Amino acid sequence: MRLAVVVHVMGVLVRLFGPMFVVPALVAAFYHEWRDAVAFAVTAAGSSGLGHAMRFAGGPAAEDAAERLRRVEGMIVVAAAWMLIAHLAALPYVWAGVGFIDALFESMSGLTTTGATILTDFSAYGRGIFFWRSMTQWLGGMGVIALFVAVLPRLAIGGRELFFAEAPGPTDEKLSPQIRQTALTLWSLYAALTGVQVMALWLAGMSLYDAACHAMTTLAAGGFSPHPSSIAGYQSPAVEWIVSCFMFVGGANFALQYRLVRGNVRALTDDEEIRAYAGVVVAASVVLAFFLTASGMQLADAVRHGVFQTLAIITTTGYASVDFNLWTDQAKMVLLGLMFVGGCAGSAAGGPKVVRHVLMARFTLRELRRTLHPRAILPIKLGGRVVPESVVREVVVFMLFYILTFAVGAAIVIALGANLVTGISASATTIGNVGPGFDSIGPMGSFAHLHPVSKVVLTLEMWIGRLEVLTVLVLVRWEIWQSARWRLAD
Amino acid sequence: MRILIIGGGQVGFGLAQALASRHEVVVVDHAPDTADRFEKLDVEFVAGGGTSRDTLRRAGIERADVCVACTGLDEVNIVACGMANQIRQTRTICFVSREDFLRLSKGEDGLAHFGIDRVVWPEAQLADDIERIVSTPGAIDAEVFAEGAVRLLEYRLEAGSPLIAERVAALHLPHGSLLVAVRRGDEFFIPRGETRLASGDKAIVMGTPDAMAEVQGLMAQGLNVGRQSVTIIGGGDVGMRLAERLDTVPTISLRVIERDEARGEALAARLHRALVLQGNGTDLALLESEDIGRSDVLVSVIDNDEKNLLASLLGRQLGVKRIITRVSEPANLRLFERVGVDVAISARGAAIAAVLHEVEGGPASLLAVLEQGEGRILELEVPPRYVGHALRDLGPPRDSIVGAILRAGRAIVPRGADRLLAGDRLIVFSTRSAADQVRSFFTGAA
Repeated sequence: MRLAVVVHVMGVLVRLFGPMFVVPALVAAFYHEWRDAVAFAVTAAGSSGLGHAMRFAGGPAAEDAAERLRRVEGMIVVAAAWMLIAHLAALPYVWAGVGFIDALFESMSGLTTTGATILTDFSAYGRGIFFWRSMTQWLGGMGVIALFVAVLPRLAIGGRELFFAEAPGPTDEKLSPQIRQTALTLWSLYAALTGVQVMALWLAGMSLYDAACHAMTTLAAGGFSPHPSSIAGYQSPAVEWIVSCFMFVGGANFALQYRLVRGNVRALTDDEEIRAYAGVVVAASVVLAFFLTASGMQLADAVRHGVFQTLAIITTTGYASVDFNLWTDQAKMVLLGLMFVGGCAGSAAGGPKVVRHVLMARFTLRELRRTLHPRAILPIKLGGRVVPESVVREVVVFMLFYILTFAVGAAIVIALGANLVTGISASATTIGNVGPGFDSIGPMGSFAHLHPVSKVVLTLEMWIGRLEVLTVLVLVRWEIWQSARWRLAD
Repeated sequence: MRILIIGGGQVGFGLAQALASRHEVVVVDHAPDTADRFEKLDVEFVAGGGTSRDTLRRAGIERADVCVACTGLDEVNIVACGMANQIRQTRTICFVSREDFLRLSKGEDGLAHFGIDRVVWPEAQLADDIERIVSTPGAIDAEVFAEGAVRLLEYRLEAGSPLIAERVAALHLPHGSLLVAVRRGDEFFIPRGETRLASGDKAIVMGTPDAMAEVQGLMAQGLNVGRQSVTIIGGGDVGMRLAERLDTVPTISLRVIERDEARGEALAARLHRALVLQGNGTDLALLESEDIGRSDVLVSVIDNDEKNLLASLLGRQLGVKRIITRVSEPANLRLFERVGVDVAISARGAAIAAVLHEVEGGPASLLAVLEQGEGRILELEVPPRYVGHALRDLGPPRDSIVGAILRAGRAIVPRGADRLLAGDRLIVFSTRSAADQVRSFFTGAA
């Protein structure tokens, strides 16, 4: 690992992130929230300055070396840059009076599109802050680094490693031979869909500000809402159905959607993951609606909330159309299960992703079949094509680490005083980047009362979950740090 | 005709043998020691590479009418045909063994682009033949002619078979089908009305598709015709193609045994339902642990006669009901069937028939050879002098029988009183010795 290169590339990314703070600064200024506007402006300048400093710290040689970023350096850059950017994005919250650990939690929750919050009193903060909260999710949804790759030609070459280290799910799908073109295409589609949703919500009666904040957090599978009681606060079935549709879209593979837009319908119908995803959504909605009617809800409401909550959890958005913490344990069980599913690879959703479950199921069945036919050659296939064994192994390892991280996180949170349901759901909801959990951290609750160490652990879980576990856990390997050196000479 | 054969391997030799009596044949091969084999045939041998202009000139390409390239290398065959076509616009027939080239030939800018008139793919033909046999329960041969208008089936008769019950004249075969030949031990004859079939005989029946479906039903009585379990040993060109075809049949559960792991992975990648096993087809422990003995059909298509025979015999020992085995060396065909293989089949036979059909074509063409060359299926045009005659009055040569009349795209299985019309074509079955007589009877001068 060449530290100078890592610092240089991180500098490039941070410097690019700086101007993002200008948008909430303008929003704050528009609503005459001058204190917040200044905070954003200062952070913008500070981030840009820090970025420049880091770039130069690497020296001119690092600039050349950045074009030939190594795989492990790419992973470290992505992991470290996400952590650093989360700190920078937390600064406006600190300025607005939130404690540092809470601010970092909120900021990481935003960037990783989790949607878990420590805010208890929503009236204490201005519109600029809430806009920023939503905007961090929008940026994190498609990937901050993908955005930079898209807009920055120079990052294109080394960007390949960064792009795939950040990309959600076991996919190396490229829409064009150039990584920059791919990133640009995906971001354009993402921005266009967001625009459509803003219009739809606005027409359904939301204010433009609320529509924008929700559109940014729906497609990103984020779940932050400027309203203290989330989507439930609008009491509008139309809004709920619009949000449901866009959550479904946000949880589907964007590359496939791009192909669909270009008229390739078969790409969509032939894809096994999207079929499985749709299948799980339908099945879970039906079961949920059944449990809800069984507990006395009207059928129409049960269907609407069943579909909405299924999508909100499976896509890891985490909105609430109703306080589902008040539901029966039967219904909550369905939601807890969905937290471990996640959306499609190449979407904005978190969680382990549907395709990994499909591959895990085939892997398990193959082992069963192999006991019957020890000499059989049994490739694992997806969409009729053989999945390389290396990918299968990565999926298995991912699942193991995912469950391990979840278990350790839950154990720590419970050890530090949370009850069993809170601890388990907190760990599941943060590593899956879902948002709310059950009990005291339910959709109408908050993570604020948890032990500070728990909050740090959960913050780390969000980070680990968003970067798909391995990108972060590879940092645990001692040899990476042993080989770390500043100088570039090889 | 002057025919140039490039490649003196099994196929080249077989072709030379079949063509030498009626044509001027020149064989080109780069290995001089293959010349010895051709010495006893009445052909000219030219040593040299088939892709060398000089060799082709020495072989008299300028005077050749047809050029057949049948070396073991697809690329050599294609280039040789291309050059032959370039030097002189001869008709070219090219042998290939891989699908990539055949796929080309179907496209608009296919192999015709290289000056190739006809592509022959023996492995594919073999796979097709085996597929037909596998999907006809109980049959040991199954063929189709005249774009599907005529079907032929061969059965080995066992005690209790409905065909043994009566004299041939009294058998109630479905309308539209005809018993054309019987093989009994070394004898091969066309049955007469008073003939009685016996258990152990092989009977060849020909007819229209509808009638043959009834024959199939009749012969398959008591056989398990629902789900079939098929095991293929050897995943080479033939094995893979056959497996791909059978894989799509929902009533067949398929297992493929392939020795080479990389090849096995390629097979497993292309097959959806079949189980691919890595191992040796002659490994008794593997065959036993996978319960191969319970297969309805075992197809052994390894590229090696000895291993095929061993695998087949092991299969028989374990209790497989029907065994189909590929044979490369034609001399082994009879032997294989004698020691217990139900169907011994060679890629060469069908390929040679295809070339003969292409070369000789015209009013009398050879559609197929059966029973290791003992039986011939010919397609003949009705000459004007026979139009209006009843078949009964025609008196075709001994040891031949008119199996079907092709009229307006449909087949009619003839009764003696049927009269021939202008434009009819006949499907005639004959023994080997009678084939030339049949040919001259229908094409020669009156």
